[in-house]
Amino acid sequence: MKPLLIVKKQGVYGSLQDKGRYGYREYGIPLSGPMDKVSFQAAQNILNNEKNQTTFEMFIGGFEFEAIDDGIYVLTGAKCRCLLNGVPIEMWKTFQLTKGDVLSIKSVSHGSVVYLTPKGGFQIEPILGSSSCFPLVGEAINEGSILYGKNAEPLHYTRGLYAPFRPIFKSDITVRIFKGPHFELFTEESQQQFLQVAFQFSGGNRMGYYLKGSILKLKKMKDIFSEATQFGTIQVPQNGEPIILMADAQTVGGYPIIATIHEEDLHKVAQMRMFNTIKFVLMEEDVCP
Amino acid sequence: MQRKIDFPHTMWISQHTIRFAFREEISQENFQAVQQFNRFLKKHLQQNLIESVASYHTVTAYLKQTKDSIDINFLQKQWLIMQVATKDNEVISRKLQIPICYDEEFALDMDCVMNYTGLSFEDIKKIHMSKSYSVYLIGFLPGFPYLGDLDKALFVPRLRKPRSSVSASSVGIGGLQTGIYPLDSPGGWNIIGKTPLNLFDIHGKEIFIFSLGDQVQFYEITKQEFYEIKSKGV
Repeated sequence: MKPLLIVKKQGVYGSLQDKGRYGYREYGIPLSGPMDKVSFQAAQNILNNEKNQTTFEMFIGGFEFEAIDDGIYVLTGAKCRCLLNGVPIEMWKTFQLTKGDVLSIKSVSHGSVVYLTPKGGFQIEPILGSSSCFPLVGEAINEGSILYGKNAEPLHYTRGLYAPFRPIFKSDITVRIFKGPHFELFTEESQQQFLQVAFQFSGGNRMGYYLKGSILKLKKMKDIFSEATQFGTIQVPQNGEPIILMADAQTVGGYPIIATIHEEDLHKVAQMRMFNTIKFVLMEEDVCP
Repeated sequence: MQRKIDFPHTMWISQHTIRFAFREEISQENFQAVQQFNRFLKKHLQQNLIESVASYHTVTAYLKQTKDSIDINFLQKQWLIMQVATKDNEVISRKLQIPICYDEEFALDMDCVMNYTGLSFEDIKKIHMSKSYSVYLIGFLPGFPYLGDLDKALFVPRLRKPRSSVSASSVGIGGLQTGIYPLDSPGGWNIIGKTPLNLFDIHGKEIFIFSLGDQVQFYEITKQEFYEIKSKGV
């Protein structure tokens, strides 16, 4: 391990993430891992990293780093202005930081989650087999925090993702869903509205995204037994406004589950920002024979 | 004679997640069925299973492969064979004895519980320690065990306004359940005591005290014993 970067300015929220903490959900340990797996994976591919290297995930920018040592990096995810010593640099393409360089992640224009990944990944003592930040337990990355890396093989040429292949972050998205175990408990009207209304993102974090657009009602008030949830579970608390559970969500929940988002569409959800909208399309054959 | 347990209702939650549901109730019968089915799944799905989460009446399995990889008919047959072939399907649970101190220093809501239930301090302690509880579910917080069933005499509603911080290892009751807070966190249950044990130690040899399916019984310790155990850092 060697110190790579020091955090000079703290943005909205940043955390180290690898693919997640698998195998402990039965003990109530959140899965964690990247919110946008596509941008996470692209970074690993661009850097020719092994599959599960640790990245630094940031919400809406605002972070500034100073290099303590030389390293090769790539920025992926939400479209933002990134400055290297004040000069704009391109995302989705490797770049080098030498000691003393300052990297600033400025305003984000499309999407909301940005990944800064070094060649070889960031290094941190794993907890329960994962380097992902452990919600409520793990240490937060703040101003003055040092991010460690390792001596990685140098890249002899710049690598990147050719522009047409980079993800586009739309302000209106449509995602596939499966009916949830409590779908039928909602009124016919609420079921229809759920599938027709474009819900608006109204805030959130790594645990959950809040939506507005329609008040979803149960046919009759009913206490639901807590049961397993996952990244992509859409639950509806008493106020009737759906919440999408995200990567750091608790492992069980006691609110009615109206639907679950298809795993392959979660990266689109992760990149939603204020006033973006989301529509749900039902997948067929949700019940086993 | 062992009761035969019907194969649970099956539903796809997503491409990689399948949910098996028994009758919608909190009961010892369901508890046995869920624990048994959870073991059955671990055995039969093996390499395809990332992990599973059991609750009061469901087992949710997270799979490596997509839904096409699962043959429900085959699972149903295996379940039936297992039910017929095995004479004793009773799941043997681990039994844990957990020390608790009901001293007023820790039992922040004891007065409320006494008022609401009309029971004396001694009665509340006696009833709370009188039975062994099943770990039905772990969640809400890492390692938080939902223990049931609490004696109906101890039924109290949740706090009208949840506490912004409940200290780790506090023991609470709410509805027909009791539980222990593994971390300092907000919480809405009535706090009636505290255990000197750490429920959860990420750097320890044994990370969690509780597993799903364990049987837990409380025994009373004095405040002095509480601090003795605590100082040993168990």
